[in-house]
Amino acid sequence: MDADVAQVEARDMEAREAESREQFRSLDQDVQSLKKEVLDLNRDLFLLEEELLFPANSQVAFFISMDVGEYFELDSVTIKIDGKEVANYLYTEREADALIRGGVHRVHMANLKTGDHELIAIFTGKGPHVRDYRRGATMNFDKGIGAKFLELEISDRVKKQQPEFIIKEWE
Amino acid sequence: MPPGRSIRSRLCLLLVFLTPVVLGATDRSEPIVVQDPQYGEVLFYFYQEDYFPALVRLLAAKEQERLTHHADEAELLLGGMYLSYGHHLEAAEIFERLLADNVDADIRDRTWFFLAKIWYQRGYLDKAQEALSYIQGDLPEHIQREALMLDAQILLDAGEYDVAIAKLQNWNGRTEWASYAKFNIGVALVRSGRVDAAAKLLNDLGEMDPFNEELTSLRDKANLALGYALLQDGQPYAAKSPLQRVRLEGPFSNKALLGVGWADAEMDNYDRALVPWMELRGRDLLDSAVQESMLAIPYAMAKLDSISQAADHYLNAIEAFYEESNRLDRTIDHIESGEFFDEFIANDPLDSTGWYWRLEELPEGPEARYLFHLLATHEFQEGLKNYRDLSYLYRNLDTWQQNIDVYANMLETRLEAYAERLPRVEESLASADIDGMVTRKLEFDSTMNNIEESHDWLALATKSEFDTWGEITGLESTPALHADIPEAAEVSDKISLLKGVLQWQLERDFKDRLWRIRRDLRLTGEALVDTQRSRRQIDETMRQEPLRFENLSARVQDLSPRIEGIKMRVEDALSRQRGFLQSIATGELQAQKDRLDIYTIQARFALAAIYDIAATAGEASE
Repeated sequence: MDADVAQVEARDMEAREAESREQFRSLDQDVQSLKKEVLDLNRDLFLLEEELLFPANSQVAFFISMDVGEYFELDSVTIKIDGKEVANYLYTEREADALIRGGVHRVHMANLKTGDHELIAIFTGKGPHVRDYRRGATMNFDKGIGAKFLELEISDRVKKQQPEFIIKEWE
Repeated sequence: MPPGRSIRSRLCLLLVFLTPVVLGATDRSEPIVVQDPQYGEVLFYFYQEDYFPALVRLLAAKEQERLTHHADEAELLLGGMYLSYGHHLEAAEIFERLLADNVDADIRDRTWFFLAKIWYQRGYLDKAQEALSYIQGDLPEHIQREALMLDAQILLDAGEYDVAIAKLQNWNGRTEWASYAKFNIGVALVRSGRVDAAAKLLNDLGEMDPFNEELTSLRDKANLALGYALLQDGQPYAAKSPLQRVRLEGPFSNKALLGVGWADAEMDNYDRALVPWMELRGRDLLDSAVQESMLAIPYAMAKLDSISQAADHYLNAIEAFYEESNRLDRTIDHIESGEFFDEFIANDPLDSTGWYWRLEELPEGPEARYLFHLLATHEFQEGLKNYRDLSYLYRNLDTWQQNIDVYANMLETRLEAYAERLPRVEESLASADIDGMVTRKLEFDSTMNNIEESHDWLALATKSEFDTWGEITGLESTPALHADIPEAAEVSDKISLLKGVLQWQLERDFKDRLWRIRRDLRLTGEALVDTQRSRRQIDETMRQEPLRFENLSARVQDLSPRIEGIKMRVEDALSRQRGFLQSIATGELQAQKDRLDIYTIQARFALAAIYDIAATAGEASE
C-alpha cells in the first residue's frame, strides 16, 4: 500500500519539479529583462526630471559628507541660501552610517541666478562626550553659468578632538 | 599608479561591493575616498541597501559622464549591485568582463562561486555548473567545502549519482559539511540501487553523537532514509533499528513511527505494529504519515481479526479524509482567487528589493498550514522574490506615470509663459542701443587720445574753471587795459597772475584728471563688454530655449508610452508569476488531495472486503 502510493507520488513530483523548474527559468528571464528595462527607463526619467526641474544653467546641488565621524554624530542639517531656509533634513541612523562609510547625500537642489550667493549650513547632533552640538558654517559662492556642486563636509579635527565643518566647491 | 596597486585596490573594492553577498551587509570596511559627488551619492544608497535608487543614480551619472574619477569602481559597483538587486544575468556579464584579466585568482574564484550559488538557487543548474568550472585555484576551506557540496548537489539533481559519489567520496573529517556529504552519498547510493553500500554510510551518520540541532536533525534524516531504504529492500528487521533511533518529537518522527509499524507488519507482527501507529493517531492529520496510519491501523486490526473495530476505523478514516479534502478544496479556491499572494507581501514594505529578501513569516490563514514546507524550497522563495520585485517595479512605474503627466503640463505652462514674455523681452532689448554706446565710447577714446597728445589741459577743466578761464581771457582783451597809465599796467599784471595761477593748477591736475577719465572709460568699456556678452547669452538662450522645450517635450512624449508599455508587460509578468506560484501551491495541495483520494478508495475497498468477509461468515454460520 505504502510503496505504490509513494512511487506514484515520487514520479509525479519529479515530473512536476522538472516542469516547474523550466517554467520558473523562463519567467525569471522575463523578470530579469523587465528589471533591466525598468532600470534604464528610470535612468532616463531621472535625467529628464533633473533637466526639467533644475536646468544646468541655474542648477546648484548641495551634498553632505562625513569622514570618520568620531567626534560628531549627525542628527540634522539646515541649509539657508541668501538668508532663506531651503532645506532641513533629519538623518536616520542608517543614513548617518552610510555617510560615515563614504556615502555622500544630495541634501538639496536649487535653481539660482548667476552671481554671488551666501550659504549657511547648520549642523546639529551629538558632539564630543555625547553632548548636544550645534554649529554653523558660512560661505559665499559665485554661481557661474554651468551647474554647481557644493559639498558640506563634516570631518574630525583630531588635534582639538572636535568636529570641523568645511564647505567645498566641486568643479 | 603602479599596476600592482591598481590590482590590489580593485580587489579590495570587489570585496566591498560583494560584501553583502559574501559577508552580510553589516560588514564595516574602510571608507572609500570619494572624488565625484555623484559616485558618493550612489554609495549613500548602496550602503543603505537601497539598491534600486542606487542603481538608477549610478546609471544616470554614467550617462552624464560624471564618474570620471571612479570609472573602474563604478563598473564593479554596478556588477555588485546588479547581483544584490537579483539581476544576476547582467551582473554575471559585468563580472565576466572585469574578471577576465587583471584580477587576483582568489577573488575571481570566489566571485564565480557566489555566482554559482545564486544560479543554483535560481534553478540555472547549467550556468551554476559552468561557473563552478571556472574556479581554478583553491578556495578558502569553508567556501571550498560549500563549493564541493554545490557541485555534487547539481550532479545529484541531474541524476549523475556515480560522478557525485566520486566527488564526495574523498571527503573526510568530522565537520558538518562532511556529515552532509556522507548523507548525500548515502542518498545517491540508495537512488542508484546500492542499498548495502548506502547502509554503512547512513548507519555511521545515524549513530553519530551530534553537537548541535542541525546535526541532530541530519542524524534523524539519515536514520529515516536508511530505514525506508531497507524496508523497500525487503529487510524489515534491519530497518527497525535505524527508524527507532529517530527522535519521537521532531520533523521526521511521524514518518519514522509509520515506518517502524510497517517493519513490524512486514514481519507479521501486527500487535507491535499497532503501537507506533496508534501513537500517530493523535497527531496532525496534515502529515501524510498520519493519514497513512489511519489506514494502517484498521489494516492491522483486520489482520488480527478485529473486524468490527477495523470497520469503525476505516469509516473514521473515510470521514476524516472527506473533511480534509473539503478543506483543501476551499484553500485551492482561495489561492486561485489571486488574493493569497498579495497577502504574502502586503505587510512588507517594498523598499528592499532583490536578493536578500526572504519571507520571514507566513500570513495567517488556513493556507499557511498546508504550504509552510513549500517556503523551504528555492523555487517558491525565488518565485516570491520575483513576484515582490515585480510589484515594486509596477508601483515605481505607476508613480512615474503620474509624474510624467505633471511634467508634460509643466512644460506646456512654461512654453506658454515663455511665449508670453518673449515679445516684452525683445522690445526692451531692441530699445537698448548697445552698438551706439560702443561707438560713443570709441569716440571718447579718440578724443582723449587727442587731448593727451596735444596736452590740452584746458579740455579737462571743470565747468567753473572753464568759465573762470573765459572771464580772465575776456578781461585781457578789455581796451582800457591798454591805456598808458600805471593803474592799467597794475590790473594787467594781476590778470596775468590770475591766468598764470589757473593755468598752473590745470596743468598740475592734467595727468590726474586724464588718468581718472581713462579709468572710468576703461570700466565703461568692461561694462559694455559684459553687456555685449550678456546680450549674446540672451540671444543664444532665445535661440536654444525653443529647441530645449522641443527636446524635453519629445522626451516626455517618448517616455510616456514607454512607461505604459513596460507597465503593461510588468502587469502581465506579475500575473504569470502569480499564476506560477499559484500552480506550485495548488499543485502541492492537489497532490495532497490526490493522496487522500487514493487513501479513501483504498479505505472503501478494504471496508467492502470486510463487509464481504462478514457477510460470508454470516452466511456460513446460517
